[in-house]
Amino acid sequence: MVRGINVAIALAAMLVALGLQASTYAQESGKQQAKTLETGTFHGKVHQTSGRATIHQEENGKLVLRLTNFKTSNGPDVHVILVAAKDADDDANFLKSNTERVELGKLKGNQGDQNYEIPDGTDLGKFQTVSIYCERFDANFGAAPLQKF
Amino acid sequence: MVADSSSWLSRKKWILAGIGVPVLVGAWWLFRPEKLWINKQVNEAAPFASSSDSQPLYTGLLIGKAHPTSGRASIYQVGGGKEALRLTDFATSNGPDVHVVLAQSADQNLSNEFVKGDLDSVELGLLKANQGDQNYDLPASVDLGKYDSVVIYCERFHAVFGVAKLERF
Repeated sequence: MVRGINVAIALAAMLVALGLQASTYAQESGKQQAKTLETGTFHGKVHQTSGRATIHQEENGKLVLRLTNFKTSNGPDVHVILVAAKDADDDANFLKSNTERVELGKLKGNQGDQNYEIPDGTDLGKFQTVSIYCERFDANFGAAPLQKF
Repeated sequence: MVADSSSWLSRKKWILAGIGVPVLVGAWWLFRPEKLWINKQVNEAAPFASSSDSQPLYTGLLIGKAHPTSGRASIYQVGGGKEALRLTDFATSNGPDVHVVLAQSADQNLSNEFVKGDLDSVELGLLKANQGDQNYDLPASVDLGKYDSVVIYCERFHAVFGVAKLERF
């Protein structure tokens, strides 16, 4: 009887230990590290555009586009968008070609480092190019095809 | 009569101005020509606090020459003022006496599959493996402005397996 109780206690202790281990493991795998997913450089001739576009994933899983060493023309109604294409020509008109787009916001400045939030659920396998796009004239100022970092 | 004609003229001027000014304002709003020489500068910090991590300085994609080679080559600042090369998603052919070196992108030798004579290069070490992520220390004195390409180079046959032109990250 005493032996039976001892065995039961030992089993319980083992279970508790296993449970603790399992929970710490779960905590570890649940914590996500910030990382760089993709990067690419801008090209643009008609409206000189240069610099780098990089997609980072924050610790909370959110995706952020960051432009660095960035430079383009200033212009009216210029937006940052993701397009469902591998790359985009300088004279690309995404409206005419019916290219799917994800709006990231108005261009904050035509020079300098800047960040843009990417909406949850955006499929980066599909939207592979960043474009600086003048909505008013459907002009592609510059495009950066993204590749895995 | 003279007074009449002058008042007609001034009325015509008014009509012209009434049409012309809004058109000009509209055209200005549409094209915003002053933006051609007025810049808007921003300077946001990185989206996450990663200042403790190694920062990438340069990066580039490997392009195969004599042998199919692919992946990414990135130069990191790794603390203590040191720099290191990291190859990711890397794959090339296996071969004898294959080295990782830095060379100048302007070097004509890099556009060919084989180097005539000696390649002006900075040695980083023997290629550790022909597949997988790997790191190489950079000599402290290396000038990355000059040696701006990573080359997977077979010393024995002077074969350029692959080249990555480094660009500022």
